[in-house]
Amino acid sequence: MNDALRSLTDLDRVIHEPARLLILTILSGVVRADFLFLQRETGLTKGNLSAHLSRLEESGYIKIEKTFKGKLPLTVCKLTIAGQKALTKYRQQVQEFMKKTSQPN
Amino acid sequence: MEQDFVEIKQRVRHYWFKDGIGEIAVGGLLIVLAIYFMAHRALPPVSNAPLYLDFGLAFIFILGVAFTRKLILIFKTHITYPRTGYVEYHMENISSLPARIAIFASIGIFVLLLILIGRWVGSFQWVPALLGVLMGGIAYGVYKTTANLHRFNYHAVLSVVAGFGFSISGLPPQYGLSLYYLLLGLWLIGCGSHMLKKYLQENPLPEAGGDE
Repeated sequence: MNDALRSLTDLDRVIHEPARLLILTILSGVVRADFLFLQRETGLTKGNLSAHLSRLEESGYIKIEKTFKGKLPLTVCKLTIAGQKALTKYRQQVQEFMKKTSQPN
Repeated sequence: MEQDFVEIKQRVRHYWFKDGIGEIAVGGLLIVLAIYFMAHRALPPVSNAPLYLDFGLAFIFILGVAFTRKLILIFKTHITYPRTGYVEYHMENISSLPARIAIFASIGIFVLLLILIGRWVGSFQWVPALLGVLMGGIAYGVYKTTANLHRFNYHAVLSVVAGFGFSISGLPPQYGLSLYYLLLGLWLIGCGSHMLKKYLQENPLPEAGGDE
């Protein structure tokens, strides 16, 4: 196995999951977004999105704030500095891999 | 893959313009400016009123921008966020007093510079063209940084064409400016209303219930 392929094993598995990568990318473009917006943008079910958000929060990549809008509960998510750094590192690793593998031998 | 990142971010920015509320509010502000310049022209030239109006313009711009921003957020809170979700953008997060003062001071200085240059050159005939290019540039910038917002391309073209048209029309400058603002304001309100109607049809209020 060459180095380029081996570097893939170093990828952050939390971010590598497509739904979580999409959530982090969306949050990287805003200050904060609520559950409804994330659900519409990702196309995930409530349960699925909730599970992915919990996983991201456990990893310290996002911060979830639960507030109320009138009587309705509102879940607002925000990318943390650790999340921003992890996403940037992930993008660099993937770019590096693409560059290495696209070079002719 | 990098392209996908860019497209996702463009889609998120697109969300701000999806409901047309911003265009309606900015269109309203432009119509207020159109009325202002019409009043400016209507006042007798011997009185000091036009001079006061010149300085008043900076305040109209500053208060108008602040009021329009507030209005957009109020409408979004009641119309957009319950339907398609709440998003806070980086530009919205200007809460520090120095940042606000800097923005409002920049607007004020820009307006006063326009007035001073106009008085120095002795003509305001070129102002609609300049504003047309400036506002067209802003609209084109929005088009380039968001996904599939082709209507902003039309806003940009109309702004530039109308600006130059009114500049070379031979109309008195205040009328030229007034008509430029009126035309662009009505156009933005029309486009924004159409987008809002479409948005409301496509996004009915979800049934009451929690997030999870």
